[in-house]
Amino acid sequence: MTRAVRLALLMMVLAASSLVTACATVQPWQRGRLASPCMQFSPDGELAAFASHWQESREGAAGGNGLQGGGCGCK
Amino acid sequence: MTPALRWPTALVCCLGCLASGVAPRLARASEAVVPLVTPALVLPDASGTSVSLASFRGKVVLVDIWASWCAPCKAAFPAYDALYREYRGRGLDVLAINVDEQRKAATAFLDGRDHQVHVLFDPKGLAPTGFKLKGMPTSYLIDRKGVTRFAHEGFNAKVLAQYRREIEQLLEETP
Repeated sequence: MTRAVRLALLMMVLAASSLVTACATVQPWQRGRLASPCMQFSPDGELAAFASHWQESREGAAGGNGLQGGGCGCK
Repeated sequence: MTPALRWPTALVCCLGCLASGVAPRLARASEAVVPLVTPALVLPDASGTSVSLASFRGKVVLVDIWASWCAPCKAAFPAYDALYREYRGRGLDVLAINVDEQRKAATAFLDGRDHQVHVLFDPKGLAPTGFKLKGMPTSYLIDRKGVTRFAHEGFNAKVLAQYRREIEQLLEETP
C-alpha cells in the first residue's frame, strides 16, 4: 500500500468517524433528566458548595471544581 | 504519525467538529434578539380537552411555559395564578403550559394546589419550539389581537412588576 493510499484511507476513516459523533443540542425544555437529583455529583448541593468553596479558598483554585449549573437552563 | 500526516489529520478533525454541531451552536450564540412570534397551538388540558391558543383572541393572554423540575418555574406559578385572579375580571387569561415529559411529574406538583390558571400539557415541546424559547422559565404576553407583545425570561419580583405594567397597558388597548 503506497503512502498516498494510506493517507487517503486515513482521511476517509476520519471523515466517516466525524459523521457518527453523538453531539446533540438539548433544548432548555428538554433538560428535565439533566436536572434530576440523580444526575448531580453530590446528594447535598449546599454541603458540596460549601466544601468546594472551602477547598478553593485553601488551594487558591477558584473555579477549579467547575462552575455551577443544574442543567435546567434556568436563569 | 509522520509529519506529513499531521496537518491533513488536524484539518479533517476540525471539519468533523464543525459538522457535528459546534458550528450551529456558535451561530445560535450570535443571535442577539429573538423575534416574538405567536404560534398556532392546540394542546390538551388535564381532562384531555383540546384548547387552542387562537380561542383566546379578544383577551390578553399570559403564556407561562413551565416544568416541575425547574425551580424558578415553580416559584412563578403561584405568582401568575395571583395575577390571573387579580386581572381576569378585566380580560386577562393565563395559560400555564407544562413541558414535563411525564405528566405525573406535573400533576404531583399541581395536586393539592388551589390554582385557577389554565394548565395545558405539552410533553413534545410544541409551545417552546413555536415561541422559540431560549431559557426556562419564559413567559409571553399576547394582546387582544393575538400578537405576542412581550416576553420575559426568568422570574423575579422585577419581572412581576414589569408584567403588571404591561398587563395594564394591554388591557387598556381596545381589540
